[in-house]
Amino acid sequence: MKKLIAVFAATLMTLAIAAPAMAQSEARIHLIHGIPDTPVDVIVDGEAVFTDFNFGDTQDLSSLAGATLVGLQVVLAGTDTVAIDAGDVDLPASGNYSITANLDAVGTPTITVFANDTAAIDAGSGRLQVRHTAAAPAVDVKADGAVAFSNLSNPNEAKADLPAATYSVEVVPTGADEPVVIGPADIAVKDGESLIVYAVGSLEGGSLTVLTESITGLGAAPEAVPTGNSPVESGIPLGMVAGMLVIATIAVGGGLTLARRSN
Amino acid sequence: MRHRIAILGLATGLLLAACSSASPEAKDAAVSTPTSTEPTTTSIAAVDPTPTTTPARSPLAELVTPVGSAQYDPADHIDDRPLPTSITIEGIGITAAPVVDVGVKDNGDMEIPGADGVGWYRFNATPGEPGSAVLAAHISFDGQPGVFRYLDEASVGDRVVIQFDDGTTSEFEIIELDQYDKQELPTDRVFAKTGDPVLTLITCGGDFNRSLRSYEDNVVAYAIPIGV
Repeated sequence: MKKLIAVFAATLMTLAIAAPAMAQSEARIHLIHGIPDTPVDVIVDGEAVFTDFNFGDTQDLSSLAGATLVGLQVVLAGTDTVAIDAGDVDLPASGNYSITANLDAVGTPTITVFANDTAAIDAGSGRLQVRHTAAAPAVDVKADGAVAFSNLSNPNEAKADLPAATYSVEVVPTGADEPVVIGPADIAVKDGESLIVYAVGSLEGGSLTVLTESITGLGAAPEAVPTGNSPVESGIPLGMVAGMLVIATIAVGGGLTLARRSN
Repeated sequence: MRHRIAILGLATGLLLAACSSASPEAKDAAVSTPTSTEPTTTSIAAVDPTPTTTPARSPLAELVTPVGSAQYDPADHIDDRPLPTSITIEGIGITAAPVVDVGVKDNGDMEIPGADGVGWYRFNATPGEPGSAVLAAHISFDGQPGVFRYLDEASVGDRVVIQFDDGTTSEFEIIELDQYDKQELPTDRVFAKTGDPVLTLITCGGDFNRSLRSYEDNVVAYAIPIGV
């Protein structure tokens, strides 16, 4: 333990100098606090990395990609009460991850690591990733009244690429229409963005709700802008002459025009 | 471990208090009992947990960055932007041509309304927002001249007026006109999601390929906001 932290300390200056370059690397690791009403401190090897970390707060750990968090503990803020004793946690060296402090299905605080889907998204679509990180049984997620994701249980996720639009989302027990345990809530799935929605809290404690984060820049532009399917008359002056041409076209080619319109 | 030496007895009491105050019901109960004639342990729960130890600040603290809250905000999910309804470019004889919002066709092409309309690409900025607001119209459609029939004859400096559905208008000035082979349309620039506000007007141009019923080129005018 001490050796590793010593390595951290020794490389701290290097890391600090390298931080801007590392920020541009592929690693993107966010830590999200997903336990309602429970301010915490996050301790690594007995030292506080951040304190008074509140529900919904997010920390960017990307600069620590590839590092090992030695003796990671989440304690109730300002106390020694260990809520989560995660041991040594290896952070991925690259890739796009979200790590949540959340309740498991029976309400025990835990850490969950999710790999985020950053595959390219078609123009006009967005991605919805739904993660069950709440102390609650399996659920169905409905979008605009229809089941979009069924039988989702802690700590699993479901995802889909959808036409970019705002959906009215409800969460219900699997196979049931009610009770609606979360929502209905408007969820905007935006072009080229992945919206990640976490169901968090506790059904028993009445604290079920959602957290969200989004990953942008996954989209594409339209393939082409087809803005003409018939030729314009060449060599014709502008303005009124064009108007005269329309009149001439009607006079001379009226039959043809009518025939075309009847198609 | 070296931080855990302190004040175990006190710590334990406060820890219990902290644990119970984590439950909303317990906290409410505690808050509702201060009139109790004799102090009970529940009154301790009303006191905010005080630090029992002060862990040293980890060197890692310098390397992590708060990035705001993930809490759900309904406002993030409501699109109440004023949307463009018409476009006027006096320099090329366009007066209050109707603008409609369009998306993408199944084949990936941008949707374009008929000869009389202008399509605003709804997945990009509205005119004046950061990024590129894209308005496209036909040069010619089914034998009829489109709204952007003469876009290629616009001049740098021409004014573009956009009207919005909230009654407001914004003015832009054309700063650049380009003609691109369609295979080389710079879609990263034309459909930029970020950057300074730019109004990007697109139509077709160049030779008409009768077998493909398509033009070889795209004509693009870039305009920037004025009077802001």
